[in-house]
Amino acid sequence: MSGEGQELTDETLLERVAARDRHAFDVLVARHQASLFRFVRGLCRSEADAEDSLQETFVTLWRRGTRDDAAPIEHARGYLFQVARHAAFRRGRRRAAEPATFEGERTLAQLGAEAGWGQAEVNPERYAQYRESADALARALARLREDEREVLVLRDVEGLSGDETAEALGLSRAAMKSRLHRARLRLMAELREVAP
Amino acid sequence: MKNDRQEGGLWCHEVLADLADYVDGELDDARRAQVEAHVAACDNCARFGGAYGEMVASVSRAAPDVPDQVADRLRRALDEQLG
Repeated sequence: MSGEGQELTDETLLERVAARDRHAFDVLVARHQASLFRFVRGLCRSEADAEDSLQETFVTLWRRGTRDDAAPIEHARGYLFQVARHAAFRRGRRRAAEPATFEGERTLAQLGAEAGWGQAEVNPERYAQYRESADALARALARLREDEREVLVLRDVEGLSGDETAEALGLSRAAMKSRLHRARLRLMAELREVAP
Repeated sequence: MKNDRQEGGLWCHEVLADLADYVDGELDDARRAQVEAHVAACDNCARFGGAYGEMVASVSRAAPDVPDQVADRLRRALDEQLG
């Protein structure tokens, strides 16, 4: 998308949306549509459901953003991902990944051991190769549980801040950080499986 | 971990617990210095911490492209619904 407004922050654009500035809204759409689509695509059963969720997200943004009595939206990205997540869930989640090897919460030490903590073959050089191997990462991500995948996608793939990620998932910041760390360790473990 | 050991005032399992905050730059200066002192003296934590950091840096590469048609259909749908 070209034209005025590209340099403006989300917050400034939202102020303009409140004044029913459709161009400012279009800039927000162009800025966030790809990352939102990738996110809902990972949650929905079909591409059509993902597209419907994406449309609903931006319609909701416009309606909320132009409502005179609505509280201001603090973090645009956190809000958008939160709305998108709910829109995707209303359409039915994709079949959840098979439960991990055993049920229940594992300790960090257990997760670390599965990720290769304390084992000689785990080293930075090995993991640096994944910068050139998006396919292996995508396959490993697909093997994670939904709650693990979504926190990783928001924080590490799409680059949301900690506060935005917590807001999108409806978690406290501490709970989000704990889930993120565990999800990263699980991804390391899955990478050992899919790309040994 | 079998070889859990104390270096720089921290045990390996404490470094493991702090790894995300370390990589995300969210440790305070004193804790960060402790983690770095431990890692400087512990090969296991240096290797694993380095691998963890590399993996986090690599994950952003997993974002697939979004087809142009998705953006086109979104634009048309928003025009229809919002005018």
